[in-house]
Amino acid sequence: MKELDLLKKDWKAREDSYPKLDKEALYTLIWRRSSSIVKWLYYISIAEFVFWTALSFFTKNSETDALVKSIHLYSFINILTVINYAVLIYFIYRFYKNYKKISYNSSSKELVESILKVKRTVTHYVWFNLSILATSLLGLFYGIIHYGPATESIFNAAAKEDNSLLFWAIIAAVCILIIGLAVLLLWLFYKLLYGILLKKLKMNHKELRKLNS
Amino acid sequence: MDKKLEHIFLSEFETHQNIVHKICSLYSNDREAHHDLFQEISIQLWKAYPKFRGDSKFSTWMYRVAINTAITQYRKNKKRTDTHDIENVLFKTKAYEDYDPHEEQQLSLMYQAIKELNDIDKALIFMFLEDKKYDEISSTLGISEVNTRVKMNRIKKKLNKILNP
Repeated sequence: MKELDLLKKDWKAREDSYPKLDKEALYTLIWRRSSSIVKWLYYISIAEFVFWTALSFFTKNSETDALVKSIHLYSFINILTVINYAVLIYFIYRFYKNYKKISYNSSSKELVESILKVKRTVTHYVWFNLSILATSLLGLFYGIIHYGPATESIFNAAAKEDNSLLFWAIIAAVCILIIGLAVLLLWLFYKLLYGILLKKLKMNHKELRKLNS
Repeated sequence: MDKKLEHIFLSEFETHQNIVHKICSLYSNDREAHHDLFQEISIQLWKAYPKFRGDSKFSTWMYRVAINTAITQYRKNKKRTDTHDIENVLFKTKAYEDYDPHEEQQLSLMYQAIKELNDIDKALIFMFLEDKKYDEISSTLGISEVNTRVKMNRIKKKLNKILNP
């Protein structure tokens, strides 16, 4: 079949038309796996955002609103929510920028820098989420103690105690303990979620540094 | 992998990278997909290299790993999306000078037909274009020599039918 010979001839003629990558470019390409990890970080940040938004959307109703209002936290929660969303959107943008940057830069040195930046973003992100959790719980406890259904009995009990300072100290300690536990749980969750991805990134980072040194 | 082995690998890879580019051009429809596949094959080569004993030529080993990776990736992508968008980015420009509209059209038809072949048949026509003998094709693809010949004849018939309807 003469057409096949024509095809073969054309195929051979194309031999020089393919890109030529040097050793460094090839090596970087192999370690560019980082970019897919960073892509996942970006996706996870979006998924998390969607999850929390959906959760607050479905749990929000007139009953919870009334409850929040009764403990005088309505505006506190609203302000916190606005701040929370603003910062989360900012973080999603950061994750996106990281991902774009890591997929475009070519040298291994730039790659190393990008990886470090990604790690920093993740750390900041986790810290922000932990502080939001701690702040909202703190507000919640304050509201419950001051305006909740048990407020009267708590204050009565404090008045009855000889050492009311100790009484309040114990209440504060219990609240802090609960907040600490909640924060610890969320931290463990993040550790699990991002730990594996960050570990892979770290390995890539180590290899790339070896190449640069 | 130690430094010395790394260095040998990279030199060999640099020399023979065209094999991978050619496979990518057959198994991907646009530049981005080409790049992604090239990267995936590079990673697989890198991972497999420590096990490469050197009992065959580097290029022979490379054909095998690269084709297997391309086929695996092709099947993975196939699951996600079944639409075929034939752009032929890499095949738009003619590589040599003597321009013949009829030949050009035939070539374009053939490349298009090749792009629509299944994963194994693509590998077969690739090896054929690379001037590989049937025994090498069959050992690289892990199918019998008879089967290779049968498949190759079918592809030739298919192409013939497209060109001379």
